Amino acid sequence: MRVLTHCLSFGKPRSLIGLWLGLSGLLAAIALLSLLYGAGDVGPARAWQALQNLGDAASYDSEAHFVIAELRAPRLWIGLVVGAALGIAGALLQAVTRNPLAEPGLLGVSAGAAFAVTLAILWGADTATLRVSVAQLGALGGCLCVLAAARLQGIGSDPIRLILAGAILSGLLHSLSSLILLYDQHTADEIRFWVVGSLAGRQLDDLVPLFPTLGVAALLTILLARPLAALALGEHVAIGLGHHPRVVRLLVIVVVALLVGGATAAAGPIAFVGLVVPFAARALAGPDIRRTLWLCLPLGPIVVVSADIVSRLVVPPSELPLGVLTALIGAPVLIGVVRGRRLPTL
Amino acid sequence: MTSLRHLCMATAGIAALSATLPANAKSLETAFGTVEIDDDPTRVVTLYTNALDSALTAGVAPLGAVATRGGDGVARYLSEQAGDIEIVGTPRETNIEAVAALKPDVILASPRLPEAQYDLLSHIAPTVVPDVKPYQMDSWENEARVYGEALGRSDAIDDAIAEVNAKAETLSEHQNDSPSASLIRWMPQGALVMAPQIFSNTLLSKSGFAVDDGGTVKEGRPHSDPLSLENLSRIDNDWLFLATLNAEGDEAYEAAKQSPAFERLDVVQRDQVVTVDGQLWTSATGPMAARAILDDIASAMDTAQ
Repeated sequence: MRVLTHCLSFGKPRSLIGLWLGLSGLLAAIALLSLLYGAGDVGPARAWQALQNLGDAASYDSEAHFVIAELRAPRLWIGLVVGAALGIAGALLQAVTRNPLAEPGLLGVSAGAAFAVTLAILWGADTATLRVSVAQLGALGGCLCVLAAARLQGIGSDPIRLILAGAILSGLLHSLSSLILLYDQHTADEIRFWVVGSLAGRQLDDLVPLFPTLGVAALLTILLARPLAALALGEHVAIGLGHHPRVVRLLVIVVVALLVGGATAAAGPIAFVGLVVPFAARALAGPDIRRTLWLCLPLGPIVVVSADIVSRLVVPPSELPLGVLTALIGAPVLIGVVRGRRLPTL
Repeated sequence: MTSLRHLCMATAGIAALSATLPANAKSLETAFGTVEIDDDPTRVVTLYTNALDSALTAGVAPLGAVATRGGDGVARYLSEQAGDIEIVGTPRETNIEAVAALKPDVILASPRLPEAQYDLLSHIAPTVVPDVKPYQMDSWENEARVYGEALGRSDAIDDAIAEVNAKAETLSEHQNDSPSASLIRWMPQGALVMAPQIFSNTLLSKSGFAVDDGGTVKEGRPHSDPLSLENLSRIDNDWLFLATLNAEGDEAYEAAKQSPAFERLDVVQRDQVVTVDGQLWTSATGPMAARAILDDIASAMDTAQ
C-alpha cells in the first residue's frame, strides 16, 4: 500500500489545478463509457451512433435513444451527485474525527439514514422530498452517535476502536431494519429496494429534492475548509487563529449528515466510497483538507460511476447491486490502511 | 332379563376391545420410506401450502398449518375454508413445539422437507413427505394424490384434479393460437421472471399459453435474478401476468408504470397486463389454488374479449 501511495504522490506535491483537470478529464471519459455500456442489447457501437445522430431525424434509433436518455443518463447524473456527496462527506468525517478510517458507511451514518427511511416508509411516507429530510435526520443521529463514541475515553484516539464502535452501531441499525421487514410485510418490498444501494431504477425526480440541502452543504463546506485545516494543526492553534473548534465540529457533522442523508435517499446506503475517495485524494494531493476536498469532487463520481458500469456488465441479463462493487473496491483499501505499519493520523 | 344383561355386557366388551386394538392402519410410501398412518386420521397438521390445500379439498380441516410466504396467516385464497387454524411456523421454519402441542395423527409436509426436520417431526406423528420431483408439469398433482392417500380420501383429490384439468382444457380450446405470456414480480430496479416450471405457469401452459421467460431463468431455479431494466423487452409478450405479494394489484401496476422502461413495453401499451395475487400465483400450489388461478385466467380472457 505504501508503494501505491508512493507511486501516486511522486515525492513533491503537484499543482492542484493540473491534478483537478486531469481527474475531471478522466471522469468525463468514464461518464461517456457509462452512456455507451449497459446490460442490454444496445451495445457501445449502437449507442455511439445514436449519440452522434441526436439531432438527425432520419437515422433516429428510438430504442438506443430511450436506453441512453431514460435509463443510462439518469443513473449517470445520480452517480455523479452521490459520488461527490459521499467523497466529500468521507473527507470531512475523517478530518473532524482525525481518523483516516472514518467512513459514513462503516461508522453507521448510512445505516442511520437507511433505518430512518425504513421507519418513514413503514409509517406511510412515499414522497421523495420527505424521504430526503428523514434520511438526513437519520444520518445526523448516526453522526452524533459516532461523535459521542469518539469522545469516550480511549476510543477517539484509537482509529480501530472507533471503527468497531461504528460496526456495532451499523449492525444494530441493520438488525432493527430487518426486524421491521419481518414484522411488516406490507412495506417489505419497497424497503428492500431502499436497503440495497443501487443506481438502477432510480429516477431523476429522486434527485431534484436533494439540490436545496446539497447546495447548503456545499456552501458550508467552502466556509469550513479553512477552520478544518487549522484544526488539523491542533485545538490551541485553531483557537489562536480565531476559530471555534466546537462550532466547527458541529457544523461539519451537520454537513456530513446532509450529504450522506441525501446520497442515501437517492441511491440507498453505499459503503466504502467515503473511505476510498479521501484516501486516494490524500495520496495525490497531500494531507491538507483544502486540497483533498477539491480532488474528492471528481474522484467520488469516478469511483461510483465506474463501479456502476461494472455492476451492469458482470451478470447480464441481470445486474449486481452497486454496494457489492464498492465493497469489493473498498475492502482491500481498508485492509491496506489498517495493516500499514504506522496508521496515519490526521 | 338375564339375556338382556348378557347382551349389554357383550356389547361393552366389544367396545372395550375395539378401543384397545390399533385402529385400521395403512402404509404409505414417502421420500423417507414407508410410514404407517391411521385409516381415517382426524388430527392433521400441514406444513406446506399444497398439503393444506389438498386437505381442505378432501374435506379435512387441519388443526395447524404454516403461514404463507410474506404473511401472518394462511394464504388469502384459503383463509375462509381454513377457518380458525393454528399457525405453527413459517415456510422456512416450523415451530416443532407448536406442532407437538396439537397432538397430530399425521403431519403432511413439503417434498423439500430437510431430513433433520423429518427426524424431529416423525417422533411426533407419522410424517408424510411426498417423493415427487419438483418443477414438473404434474408435480402438484402427484403431491396432492399422496396427501389424499394419507388422509384416506383419494377419490376427492382425484375428482378435484380431473375438474382442474377439464377446466384448463376448456380454456385452451377458447384460445385461437397459443399467445405468449410471462409471469413476473415487479421491483423498481427490474423484474423477477418466474420459471415456466412453477405451478401457476404450468396452469397457464395447460390453458393454452406459451409461457416464455425470455431465457432469463437458470435451470432448476424458481425465478430469475432481477432483470436489468435495459432487458425488459425480453418479457414483452402477448400477455404479462404481474404478481404482487402485498399491495393492491392496481396500485402495484401504477407503481410499475412509474418506470419508463416498463411503461413503454408493448404489452403495457396494449394494456394486456393482468395483475394477480402473488400469494396465490407465486407461493401457492394445490387443487383449490389451481381452481382459483384458472378463474383468474378465465376472467382475464373474458375482459379481453
